[in-house]
Amino acid sequence: MNICFWFAVLAIAAVEPPDGNALLARVDANIGSNGKVIVSEMIIQGRRGGRSVRTMSWVSGTDRAFTEYLAPERERGTKMLKLGDRLWTYSPQSDRTISISGHMLRQSVAGSDLSYEDMMEDPKLTNLYSAEVVGPDSVGDRPAWLLELKARAEGVAYQRRRLWVDRERDLILREERLSAAGRLLKTMEVLSVGRYEGRWLADRAVFRDALREGGGTEIRIDSIAFDVVIPEHIFSTASLRR
Amino acid sequence: MTILRLAVRNLRGAGIRTWLNAFALSLAFVAIIFGQGLLQGMNRQAEDASVAWQYGGGQYRQENYDPHDPLTLEAARAPLPPELRALAEAGRAAPVLIIQGSIYPGGRMMPVQVRGIPPDQRVVAIPTAALAGDGEVLPVLLGARMAQAAGLEVGDYVTVQWRDARGAFDARDARVAEVMRTSVETVDKGIVWVPLARLQELTGLADAATLVTVERGLRRPPAVAGWDFRGPDYLLADLRQMVRSKSAGQALMFGVLFLLAMLAIFDTQLLSVFRRRREIGMLVALGMTRAQVIALFTLEGALHAVLAALVGAVYGAPLFILLGRHGFTVPGGDTWGFAIGERIHPAYTAGLVLGTTALVFVVATVVAWLPTRRIAKLRPTDALQGRGG
Amino acid sequence: MLAFLAKGLLRDRSRSLFPLLTVAVGVSLCVLLDAYIRGARDGILRTTASFVSGHVRVTTRAAAREGVGASNELALLDAAALQDELERDHPGVDWTPRIRFGGLLDVPDSAGRTRAQTPIAGMAVDLAPDGPERRILNLEQALVSGRLPEAPDEVLVAAELARRLELGPGDRLTLVSSTMHGAMAVHNFILAGTVRFGITAMDRAAMLAPIEGIRPALDMADAADEILGFLPRFQYDDREAARLAAAFNTGRGEGDDEFAAEMNTLRTASGLGGMMDLIDYASALIVGLFVVAMSVVLWNAGLMGSLRRYGEIGIRLALGEPKGAVYRALLAESLLIGLVGSALGTLVGLGFSYYLQEVGFNIAGMMQDATMVMDDVIRARIAPPSYIVGFLPGLLATFAGAAISGLGVYRRQTASLAKEFSG
Repeated sequence: MNICFWFAVLAIAAVEPPDGNALLARVDANIGSNGKVIVSEMIIQGRRGGRSVRTMSWVSGTDRAFTEYLAPERERGTKMLKLGDRLWTYSPQSDRTISISGHMLRQSVAGSDLSYEDMMEDPKLTNLYSAEVVGPDSVGDRPAWLLELKARAEGVAYQRRRLWVDRERDLILREERLSAAGRLLKTMEVLSVGRYEGRWLADRAVFRDALREGGGTEIRIDSIAFDVVIPEHIFSTASLRR
Repeated sequence: MTILRLAVRNLRGAGIRTWLNAFALSLAFVAIIFGQGLLQGMNRQAEDASVAWQYGGGQYRQENYDPHDPLTLEAARAPLPPELRALAEAGRAAPVLIIQGSIYPGGRMMPVQVRGIPPDQRVVAIPTAALAGDGEVLPVLLGARMAQAAGLEVGDYVTVQWRDARGAFDARDARVAEVMRTSVETVDKGIVWVPLARLQELTGLADAATLVTVERGLRRPPAVAGWDFRGPDYLLADLRQMVRSKSAGQALMFGVLFLLAMLAIFDTQLLSVFRRRREIGMLVALGMTRAQVIALFTLEGALHAVLAALVGAVYGAPLFILLGRHGFTVPGGDTWGFAIGERIHPAYTAGLVLGTTALVFVVATVVAWLPTRRIAKLRPTDALQGRGG
Repeated sequence: MLAFLAKGLLRDRSRSLFPLLTVAVGVSLCVLLDAYIRGARDGILRTTASFVSGHVRVTTRAAAREGVGASNELALLDAAALQDELERDHPGVDWTPRIRFGGLLDVPDSAGRTRAQTPIAGMAVDLAPDGPERRILNLEQALVSGRLPEAPDEVLVAAELARRLELGPGDRLTLVSSTMHGAMAVHNFILAGTVRFGITAMDRAAMLAPIEGIRPALDMADAADEILGFLPRFQYDDREAARLAAAFNTGRGEGDDEFAAEMNTLRTASGLGGMMDLIDYASALIVGLFVVAMSVVLWNAGLMGSLRRYGEIGIRLALGEPKGAVYRALLAESLLIGLVGSALGTLVGLGFSYYLQEVGFNIAGMMQDATMVMDDVIRARIAPPSYIVGFLPGLLATFAGAAISGLGVYRRQTASLAKEFSG
């Protein structure tokens, strides 16, 4: 009887849709942190087979990020710095720091299905979108909320998004990026999740350009550390040549 | 007058030889006129096509627009100024908005320029009427080369992607409303034509354009701040330069052809002077001055050119008229990289025909005169006996 | 008999020299025209061959399908082995690998920060002094400033582009591009010199780099987008090219391996097939027309040759020589004149053609901006048809002229001969 009661309560609580913006804020909070250090791998499917790139990133807040390439050998030591809406790259072979702007930002990163612009985007979705819960859904065996996001501003690259958020873990399990008119442009699918420092995070996901045929780009997180104190000097162009 | 009558009679007396010479010369004549006409015709056709399909009476270009640099496109658009809007509304100008985008035929990405143009425009020959209508699906018009490269046919659907005024991605399924055949590659390759108003609306670039093509014959286009007017002469300069370099080579060929025809006259003259020494002696004995005799012989030679013009006219004129009117088919003329259609219509202007004729006359006269100089050295007494020379 | 006739021809200049010269001049003009038109055709194809498709072009199947501008991802791997194989199988052909790349040219200021950036279209070629590319791309001629690259990290850019970026020889510049796998590629080069192409699009954005410098920069070790083949003397021969391609493609990469190598000819790779047909058609027409005109002239000369000898023939007939014998002698003489004249004419024509073939006639030299890659040298080309295009008509027309005018011999009345003789 007791058990039954609690199941019923849980079920009702789960089906009662939360407020969209509040849910989105929880999603942001789940991955947000003052200082994060991430080691990840990107596996890119090209026409001649796959290749992978390993990077280590230091992220502070929403607008500062510093990334260093660890592998492959050829790209080791290449660094990227994002400060707000500006992006620089440093290549050790040429010992040049080059500012990436305009047209270049739309190029794909390392041949992947993601552009520099995609990576430059404000990671805090609540800053860009207002959200509404469409209803309950599920991804695989996980119950989820389907969330419709609409851009608050006109300049946002993807005017609409649909997120499938794990009901218990505040974690995006699947994502579709759409144009204002609802045309599907890009998809992201979570392949596996893991628990890191008490948070549930996607540690393997595949990004695909929905208009193009191709194998997509897989991102794997090897390690992630939250609330790391990152020295200020990391986020300066001088550190690129360090 | 006597000399002329004598010359004509002598020519007639020579019979078939005269006609053969005239025929050979006429071949050169006809070939030169044909070749030049062909070149002029191709040139004119290329210019006409470029004007008809692309340049009209000239283009206003937004001051940042650089047709050679696609990266400038984003900065190269502005709302139509009132002067140009008035022209467009009067049907005397066609605004075009150019946006960088991609299409995805068969899952493959192809970078393209999405160009918006009013479906009811009549300034350029692009069959934009096919873009009219307000169905849900975006209609697109492709050139045949573009359609082939993308593997698309009329009725096919294809996804078009671009970024709007603020940089947001947008994509639409579009339907190929028409595939046009044009000799002008620059309105075909890598270009997707869509209705202007739809493109302006979809991109949030209300009323904007990148360039405005004005109708042919528009006199004194107004100066518009922020827009540069480029007249047909400016727009056609590259094409003309190309034609000029081609005609230099052709001239050399005609020179050789010409040389051969002149060889015939020269040879004939040489023989005449040699064979008709007695006649020359007689004429001098009868009181003609040597200059008069030289004039007679030169005239005879030069008359070949007149005959050649006549002979050439007999078979050349119908040929030229026929070719000029109906043109002839060029295999793969649209693969030439510049605008000539699949049918070439040679252009024979009066200037070309008269100029060539005059040139042939002058050169034939000189060539006919050269061998007669030896007449001046003949002694009438020797000549009468058939000696000397 | 022949010796007798030959002696007669030699001794009587009016009987031999003029007809002979006429034949020779006519035939030589014919030969020259034929070679010239063939050379002009080569000239029209030269730019396309040099910059786009070579005479034959070896790429992967996928790259061939996507055409010029296909991604570097579709490049040929093991390019050196493939080139060796091509060189072994077709030693007369110049084989040269190329890589096309796009990207940004980033010009640093003194502190190494970006001073200017512009998109470029690049081509990497073998710039070795003894390699074929310097000649194919006419680089020495096209150099505006500086010199040609001598080291792997030295490059050329279009003079106009250099002017816009305020670059001069010796300046440092950085290429920002992507590797054949799509990774970002950043590489420093030194500007060795600037060139003028004569093609607007290239003059605004082109960069030429040594392929051994671009390969490491774009992570394309032993890879090439294409290996171009240029037929001997840089003369395009469609049949030969098609033969090479067929031989190469047979039995190669069975199945649907999209990275198997495939050879295409200039005709198929460039889409210029239609234009080439037109040129062939037009040249046949022009040469044909010219041969007719020359035949008429020579026929006429043959006619005149016989007329000239009206008196002589009269005497011979009067002396009792049979008409048939006189006619045959006339024919034999004309044959001799035709033979010697045509041979002489062909030789002279070939001589001029050879000069035009080897040295050329430079119209660009007469124009203002002569420094450019697009050369405007008019060249001729000698080919097997050159040997007969003048010779045969020269011989036949002379003979036909004599044969027809000689018929007059049969019409001559013996009775009137004496009168002619005395007259």
